[in-house]
Amino acid sequence: MSRLPGRTSSEFLRLAPVDRVAACLVALAHLPGLGPATLRRCHLEHGAEESWFDIVSGHHERVVPVVEQLGRMKSEVTGRLLAAARDRDAVADLDRQRRPGWAMHVLGSRSYPARLAGDPAAPAVLFSCGSADLLAEPTVALVGTRGATLAGRDLAESMAADLVRAGVVVVSGLALGIDGAAHRGALAAGSVADPPAEAIGGRVLAVGVVASGLDITYPRRHADLHRQIAARGLLVSETPAGIRPDAWRFPARNRIIAGLSDAVVVVESRAAGGSMHTVDEALARDVPVLAVPGHPGAPASAGTNALLFDGAGMARGAEDVLLALGVVPAAPPRSLPEDPGGLAAGSPAEASVLEVLRATPSSLAEVVAATGRSVEEVSHALAMLEVAGHIGRSGAWYEVSLMGRLAR
Amino acid sequence: MLASIPSAIVIGVDGSPVTVEVHVGNGIPGLTIVGLPDAACREARDRVRAAVMAAAADWPNKRITINLAPSDTRKVGSGLDLAMAVGVLVASGQLLAERVEGLAFVGELGLDGSVRPVPGVVPRVDVIAEETIVVPLSSSSDAALVGGRTIHGVLTLREVIDAVAEETRCWPCHPVPEPVSTLDHIADLSDVRGQEILCDALELSAAGGHHMLMIGPPGAGKTMLASRLPGLLPDLDDRSAMEASRIHSAAGSTLGGLVTRPPFRAPHHSATMVSLVGGGTDSMRPGELSLAHAGVLFLDELGEFAPTVLDALRQPLEEGVIRVSRARFSAVMPARVLLVAAMNPCPCGEAGRPGACRCPDGLLARYRRRLSGPLLDRFDLRVQVDRPAVSALLGGAPGTPTSERADRVLLARERAKERGVPLNSQLNGPQLEDAALLDPAAERLLTEALSNGRLSARGLSRVRRVALTIADLGGYRGPLTARHVSAAMALRIDVIGTSGIAA
Repeated sequence: MSRLPGRTSSEFLRLAPVDRVAACLVALAHLPGLGPATLRRCHLEHGAEESWFDIVSGHHERVVPVVEQLGRMKSEVTGRLLAAARDRDAVADLDRQRRPGWAMHVLGSRSYPARLAGDPAAPAVLFSCGSADLLAEPTVALVGTRGATLAGRDLAESMAADLVRAGVVVVSGLALGIDGAAHRGALAAGSVADPPAEAIGGRVLAVGVVASGLDITYPRRHADLHRQIAARGLLVSETPAGIRPDAWRFPARNRIIAGLSDAVVVVESRAAGGSMHTVDEALARDVPVLAVPGHPGAPASAGTNALLFDGAGMARGAEDVLLALGVVPAAPPRSLPEDPGGLAAGSPAEASVLEVLRATPSSLAEVVAATGRSVEEVSHALAMLEVAGHIGRSGAWYEVSLMGRLAR
Repeated sequence: MLASIPSAIVIGVDGSPVTVEVHVGNGIPGLTIVGLPDAACREARDRVRAAVMAAAADWPNKRITINLAPSDTRKVGSGLDLAMAVGVLVASGQLLAERVEGLAFVGELGLDGSVRPVPGVVPRVDVIAEETIVVPLSSSSDAALVGGRTIHGVLTLREVIDAVAEETRCWPCHPVPEPVSTLDHIADLSDVRGQEILCDALELSAAGGHHMLMIGPPGAGKTMLASRLPGLLPDLDDRSAMEASRIHSAAGSTLGGLVTRPPFRAPHHSATMVSLVGGGTDSMRPGELSLAHAGVLFLDELGEFAPTVLDALRQPLEEGVIRVSRARFSAVMPARVLLVAAMNPCPCGEAGRPGACRCPDGLLARYRRRLSGPLLDRFDLRVQVDRPAVSALLGGAPGTPTSERADRVLLARERAKERGVPLNSQLNGPQLEDAALLDPAAERLLTEALSNGRLSARGLSRVRRVALTIADLGGYRGPLTARHVSAAMALRIDVIGTSGIAA
């Protein structure tokens, strides 16, 4: 072809075959209306290059997966899709994915992670930044709600640290709450001065799967985590560079988290939420699901307790998870103090206040009502406990901290 | 001929004396009013003429000029009508000037010659130098609140003419009608069930003059609690009572006696700047802020008030007065209030409870962003209000009655007076240092809170003031203990405003 359809530059013809496929997949991934499933079908059934050029030259009706997908949608979508295709330069799209430390993995090629190769919903193309070898190690996903309690976040952090120290990779989604805490724990364990049995070749056993392009930091608050995981661990996405995390991409990425794991642990979740979706994906892949038990009344444990009721494995700490994986740790996990509450047995008032807070985060009035003590006594106990770092405060709410540190 | 009749107008909450000069002379018949009258004042031409004729007197067919002195200030309202009519009668020879010597006149005239009430009788009478003042009958009881004056209440212009015409001035003796007081009745705290912490906070607020913010979902009882706060406050002292009476009179209320109880004002959040703060182009009426002077201003749904309106509150909260300026004049009105506000915690109703609140971070921040850090900082008490448990509402014990708490409040206020301030919240830095000594444990607690960012430096002094009031309420006199300080801290929760966390 002397002149390529659409905007694709003539550089295309000088690309190696494998790169040509990659370029077309990346270009296709930009089209509105084509999701991961359609993309995979195009790649496997029709061929990436063929699909791309059929669409761009106006013969999209030859591409069966696309036709079936468009048939499900409104007619304006077809117009938009075709217009978008004509505007794309596949070579430029490919170039944009070439950055220092980045790699592309096309389904069917040798570099594609073995774990996902046989997955029924495997992404047609994966982008990674960091050490892709991590994906071959035993891996556990630590997931949970964005609106987590302090205790939940503390537990996720300590569990992640223990798992990493035992040589297990921790994967999560870089979201606020549990995800962030898990990543922090994994990174912290990876930087301990102790002989790094947990770091393979200097890398930290931390993997983050994001819903956006790898160059986009979302949420903004986790910019530092994003940077550290990319530099010292592994960052993965099926979304090309520059694309923001649209809402639908989050459940999509959850299937990748499930697909990469040997076990999924839900630390805290309300009755419904993103982590529950990850659980569904795990169950569909026969990946064992574990949950952390919580107080029956605590809203943040409603989902996890329901999972336990339905038969999920119980994870009280890293040991339970390691047992489920069949991994024997070199040394026993040591993150959590033996009796986090016992340290704080200052006065009887403090002890009873702590007991109430261990169940669920509470307000001053709730603690007063639950302990039956005077407002003065309770507020004094709360102030002392807060100063000592045994509890944290978030606005009007007091929460217990498992790690004896001040509230984040 | 020339007549000179004393009267007064109201600007803001203060009266301003006006001398109504009337000149009747030769020239093309007509009536001109000079001295910067506003529209209502200018319309007096027709009212006065009709009233004089209705009172069976003669309207002089001459050139009449009325000057409202001082001539360079704007005259507003219809309260000068009566003085103008009397002036015309004197200047046209129908009444003898000596007969109206030492008399001042305030009132509006109807076309039938009746004398009608005008707002602000109390401030007007207050500034009139003359000893004897003639006012509309229904305003006579209010006018009498200003001591040291002889007040004559009249119903018609004819009565005035008759009384003045006689050698011995014989004023009509009307039975003074029972004035209907427009000020409300305050309910009792014993009606409130299951909210002991809140009532304790209310008591603290009353005892020390600490502004209070309540954060809670609808139905938690925030308005119920706020409306009962005035019951905890002691009677107004003489000075405040007079100030409040003048203000309410200037706003147009009929007082029914001196205002002795602290007022309670609760403007809706759609209130405009002018209605809240006072002003307006012509008459500079007092706003809700001044009407609440020496009492309670309750702002429900604080986040729904316009930010500019909230911003306008900051200075008066600091100074205790509100300054309103217009092109022609400015007014300074008293505005020393106890501010109580209420707000919803967050849209999902879980109030940010970790693990339960479904509001994403950005939404929560945006929801509270309407409130500025400096405004939130003004609240010494920031308390969470939960909906009371059904068991407490239906079967629980009634709350501590207002009278019991009010007694404690009174004692606490006595202690503040011993320190030289009316209220603890008004203690300045050095006074606070002297009055609120800290024992070592309390000092440690505060230092720790300051160093880990729990309290800002300003928050620290605020907490100290509240701790002092807590000690006062308990009858405790020594240095403040960690218990006092921690109780004060527990009642001052963080609320996220625009400038990060207000601590």
